[in-house]
Amino acid sequence: MTASPSHLDLLEAESIHIFREAAAQFRKPVLMYSIGKDSTVLLHLARKAFHPQKLPFPLLHVDTTWKFRDMIKFRDQQAKELDLDLIVHTNEDGIKRGINPIDHAPSIHTDVLKTQALKQALDKYGFDAAFGGARRDEEASRAKERVFSFRASGHRWDPRRQRPEMWNLLNGRLGTGETVRVFPMSNWTEKDVWRYILREKLDVVPLYFAAERRTIVRNGQILMQDDERLQPRPGEKVETRRIRFRTLGCYPLTAAVESDADTIEAVVAETINAQTSERQGRLIDHDQAGAMEKKKQEGYF
Amino acid sequence: MSIHALKTNPGLQTPARTQDVPNLVRELGGITHLLTCGSVDDGKSTLIGRLLWDASDLYEDQRENVRRSGRKAAGTDLPDFSMLLDGLVAEREQGITIDIAWKYFDTDTRRFVIIDSPGHEQYTRNMASGASHADVAIVLIDARSGVKKQTKRHTAILDLVGVKHVILAVNKMDLVGWSEDVFRKIEDDFRTLCWKFNFWDSTAIPLSAVFGDNVSAPSTNMNWYSGSTLIQHLEKVPSRVNEAGSVFRFPVQMVLRDGQDFRGLAGTVASGTVRVGDTVTDALSNASGKVVRIATFDRDLQSASAGEAVSLQLDVDIDVSRGAVLSAPEMRPVAAQTLEARFVWLSEDAFSPTAGYLVRTATDLIPVSNIEIKALLDLETMASRPARACSANDIAIAKISLGRAAAIDVFSETPETGQLLLVDSVSGATVAGGIATSVDAKAETPSEGHFVLKRDMLANGLNRDLSMNSKDREEFMRRANEVAIILRSAGVSVAIEPPPPLDDGLDPGL
Repeated sequence: MTASPSHLDLLEAESIHIFREAAAQFRKPVLMYSIGKDSTVLLHLARKAFHPQKLPFPLLHVDTTWKFRDMIKFRDQQAKELDLDLIVHTNEDGIKRGINPIDHAPSIHTDVLKTQALKQALDKYGFDAAFGGARRDEEASRAKERVFSFRASGHRWDPRRQRPEMWNLLNGRLGTGETVRVFPMSNWTEKDVWRYILREKLDVVPLYFAAERRTIVRNGQILMQDDERLQPRPGEKVETRRIRFRTLGCYPLTAAVESDADTIEAVVAETINAQTSERQGRLIDHDQAGAMEKKKQEGYF
Repeated sequence: MSIHALKTNPGLQTPARTQDVPNLVRELGGITHLLTCGSVDDGKSTLIGRLLWDASDLYEDQRENVRRSGRKAAGTDLPDFSMLLDGLVAEREQGITIDIAWKYFDTDTRRFVIIDSPGHEQYTRNMASGASHADVAIVLIDARSGVKKQTKRHTAILDLVGVKHVILAVNKMDLVGWSEDVFRKIEDDFRTLCWKFNFWDSTAIPLSAVFGDNVSAPSTNMNWYSGSTLIQHLEKVPSRVNEAGSVFRFPVQMVLRDGQDFRGLAGTVASGTVRVGDTVTDALSNASGKVVRIATFDRDLQSASAGEAVSLQLDVDIDVSRGAVLSAPEMRPVAAQTLEARFVWLSEDAFSPTAGYLVRTATDLIPVSNIEIKALLDLETMASRPARACSANDIAIAKISLGRAAAIDVFSETPETGQLLLVDSVSGATVAGGIATSVDAKAETPSEGHFVLKRDMLANGLNRDLSMNSKDREEFMRRANEVAIILRSAGVSVAIEPPPPLDDGLDPGL
């Protein structure tokens, strides 16, 4: 590092500091790994924080069974290459009940297969701290999020329990029944994430790059037909388009953008010159007013 | 810096290709954390909105929202820039006790982080909490009313938590006829006010947030003013990390091992610089060692300075773990047993003389054996008056006896290791944030009922499953802390005898 560190150097150092503070203070942490670009950076920062030691905690992926196939492939490759301790959890009860993002409202799908599933997994393994890649710049309701975000028992987010954070002192002493979500990338922006991926030459899921893919346009949004479960409705048809994704989630809930950006450099260039903020492509956020706020209260991040 | 003129209407741009962005991994020259203080009436939202509009990399959909809304700034035909903060304003209804909203924008050279703390009645604790993160603060006032009591409170809080650069933004100059006399009078009052504080730089700028005068573009209405615009000034302000002191401080966060011969003391350099070959000391144990490696994931470094997260490998395995603060042997922090501190009381729960509290330093958590409120500070006059109690929003002067020694500096000399939190030992809540004003290595004379948790007492029963290697030593200390907390909540004043010396012969990791 030079005499005057760049903003990425500073953000990286801050994230490493947060990882170490959390690992030292909590009994049983876990890293919530969602396979996307933010998780990729989060994981890389964690590896930097504890080098040369192996990660002192496992990764948890909550699999709704509706993720893009390329995501699952990438997840398993990463786990193998980086020698990660990966836990995959699915809400089997929700699957048995037939909950899915095509027939049910996005909010129900998310609640059952994501929020409930996450709570199940955290309880099952008794994790007291969960690292996440959330950023304050993502959305107004996250602009006030703490680095250590406390959850009462039942994973409820209670505004009055949130602790003031002064200087860079991170108080991780838990009250009875409390757990904590830790956000080492709180101060990163979407642009930083891409710049950092480019700088550190990190692999990301190929879905971020433009390619010819089978698509269906629904409610003005371009969806990708990742498997046979998503079928065109009357008046819709399957067409091949050159698309890529700015965020990744459950494929029937993730809108694509038409793009020619097929290299990491082109994606970064497109992001830096972007005219719209990234969450426009995430359908769950538009499902109901204050959606994010509500999901947070319920325990979805 | 890109200035976005109001009248231009850039249509949808064609998607960018690589060649359009010559420097893709644009790493900005640093990060400046900016706190804005002032009330809505002073035009705070409008000023921040104007900064974002004029100088930042807003998304086009955000700009379009402002243009399309048709909302006008009061009494003008200009867009209402405060809309850019609407998302944050709406979120104010969540009922978070202390809420700070963070907003990010880039100019061509720097990342700016706007720390927005609301200006309602819970002002002191909100502002203190926000200001603790700030490199520079904008104190916003209305040119028509000048320096007010509130301005005094603001500057006092900024000084208390260690802000070194203050900008007085004299807003609404249009409403005083762009008068130089009005501005100079306010500027003089502000200078006088700042004399009693420890700011390194305090600058007054006449501006109009609504019309944009001296925000990013020099004003044509105030030719008598030749100083910087607000943005020019902000881009020059150094951040805390660049201005950290020269005294080396390295709070140890944890010990990292590779299963072979590497034992790295992991942490972030809090201030100063460490170089390979330097001798470093732990003030608590007096142990010293020579730095043989400064390791990171990417490469080994020859030196590391404030803000860098590294791990230090020493030539000898000294008895050091989380909570220690490494320093140069001749410039060490005090192994403090007692300290005086100024605290901003953050909790809804008032101070209780019988509650169990812990002091949180950079990486240590120490049980308090006794805490006494001495006085409360009046932020308008800076005078203190004797008191025994304090509650939310008070600034208290307190005397604390620690259950065991901890490495602490006086905040005004080495801020990074003189910052403290007071933690409720039962709920874990952060009840106060403070700064050490004096530290003493001498313990208070034990008062009646003062109880010493002896090493043997702890080792024989409670800790008999622990060996004396460094990992178990941390667990030993953790258990001792918890016992002290329980006794303390039963009303017993407690001191902990230090654990036995390190015997790492059994440690398989070495």
